[in-house]
Amino acid sequence: MAFLVGKNISKKFGGLTALHHIEFQIDSGEIVGLIGPNGAGKTTLFNVISGMYSPTSGEIYFEGNEITGLKPHLICRKGLTRTFQIVRPFFNMTVLENVMVGSFFGGAQIRSKAKAEEEALHILKFVGLQERIHLPAKGLTSADRKRLELAKSLATKPKMLLLDEVLAGLTPTEMSQAMALIEAIRRELGITILIVEHVMKAIIGLSDRIIVLHYGEKIAEGKAEEVAKNPTVIEAYLGEEIQV
Amino acid sequence: MAIVILLILPFFISDYIVSVLLNILMWIALTESWMILSGYTGYISLGHAAFFGVGAYIMALLWRKLPFFAIVPLGGLSSMFLAFAIGFPCLRIRGPYFVILTLGLSEFTKYLFINWEVNVSGTVGRILMGAPDLHIFYYSMLVIAGLGVAVASWIRSSRFGVGLRSIKEDEEAAESLGINTSVYKWLAFGISAFFPGLVGSVMALRWTYIDPYTVFNPIVSFQIIVIAFLGGVTEVEGPLLGAIVLTLISEVLWAKYPYYYMIILGVILIILVYFIPTGILEPLKGLIKSRVALKWRSS
Repeated sequence: MAFLVGKNISKKFGGLTALHHIEFQIDSGEIVGLIGPNGAGKTTLFNVISGMYSPTSGEIYFEGNEITGLKPHLICRKGLTRTFQIVRPFFNMTVLENVMVGSFFGGAQIRSKAKAEEEALHILKFVGLQERIHLPAKGLTSADRKRLELAKSLATKPKMLLLDEVLAGLTPTEMSQAMALIEAIRRELGITILIVEHVMKAIIGLSDRIIVLHYGEKIAEGKAEEVAKNPTVIEAYLGEEIQV
Repeated sequence: MAIVILLILPFFISDYIVSVLLNILMWIALTESWMILSGYTGYISLGHAAFFGVGAYIMALLWRKLPFFAIVPLGGLSSMFLAFAIGFPCLRIRGPYFVILTLGLSEFTKYLFINWEVNVSGTVGRILMGAPDLHIFYYSMLVIAGLGVAVASWIRSSRFGVGLRSIKEDEEAAESLGINTSVYKWLAFGISAFFPGLVGSVMALRWTYIDPYTVFNPIVSFQIIVIAFLGGVTEVEGPLLGAIVLTLISEVLWAKYPYYYMIILGVILIILVYFIPTGILEPLKGLIKSRVALKWRSS
């Protein structure tokens, strides 16, 4: 049984079709990359899956249950959590409090403050932010903000994560650390991942499988090496051959 | 310690000072309650005068039919129910629109009451006879303000408060981490409306005469915001400090310069807000911290 299934998903904004009959299927334990040129509909697809938009047509199933059109907080509590392309820390709250929001309200629904704090500390250690827990989030570097974004979403105890460009803007060293972290999330926590990324080298290294969107349509899907050689994909990326 | 002083103080000071303290306590209660909604979630309400007025009218309608200490909680509950009733649609609206909407609703409520007074009860206002002793007002307000501070501070550090504060920071992100933001805002709105209802019902009796213009006066809502921003909107001590400073400044100015007091007050507020936009609490805390650090270093 596939873990996350999208059936015939379309999303229109007025006359603009942002997503056109998208079909996808993601199995438990996979890391799937979602790529495409700017405006291809990647973030729209994330917004539709996570409940921020409801699709114009089509259905989404998570663990066999339909989640189409559910409110974002309910989808999160079912174990499907997203991060944002532009990281959105709660700037005036401490790093610890930021992560506690996830443990309090996500799938875990922890009531006790002590328990939530313990969970949050555990996760902060996992992402490597344990030194900064009492800093307000606005005091973090941009690389640390990305870690925090991951920590917040991990604190909701997800079964699956939707990661929206978590690697963008990182230096090469930071990027390889972040990639190791994402791999650890799957390996150690058993979380399935759908990841949007522009950095081609990273996404090919990370993903078991890649889905390519272009102008709201799925134009290719398959193993990284196959997709990189697919002529339609190459054409979509302005005719350049993708450097692997 | 401070509580003991506040409890025994009225026996040693003049009635004038007691009524100044009563005033301070009133603004503390109002502003702390406002902070539960607006300080924590960032949804700035300009409508708290409506809740104050509803409380006042509950007192006016029930005075001499029920005991004072029974009417006051009813005033609070009525305001809370009003907030719960109008909360869901209101809180779907965000940012400046919410501010305008709350102001509009508050004015709307005022005119409903004006209409009702003129057309149904055939009067313009109500006289409340047989007001209790000043000390009764003082202690009632002390309890209400104390409760306000306690609730605001308890909420701030609770699970509920963490949720509210994350809504202020980024509502969509909060939602995507599993917070039912609609319900949380709604609850905060209701709790926030409870205290102005209590305060309004106490003050109606203290004023002995009320009409819709005085108890639904939008100045109440404005002054709450002035106090909140003067003190600081994110911590419980902010409204305490703001209420004390503003009430004392206005008392002194009013006594010394009765003709210019509003002008001087306005200028002082502009200067304070311009130079200390975070409220006076934060720099004060910094000052105390650096003093302590200095002492520690020199010893």
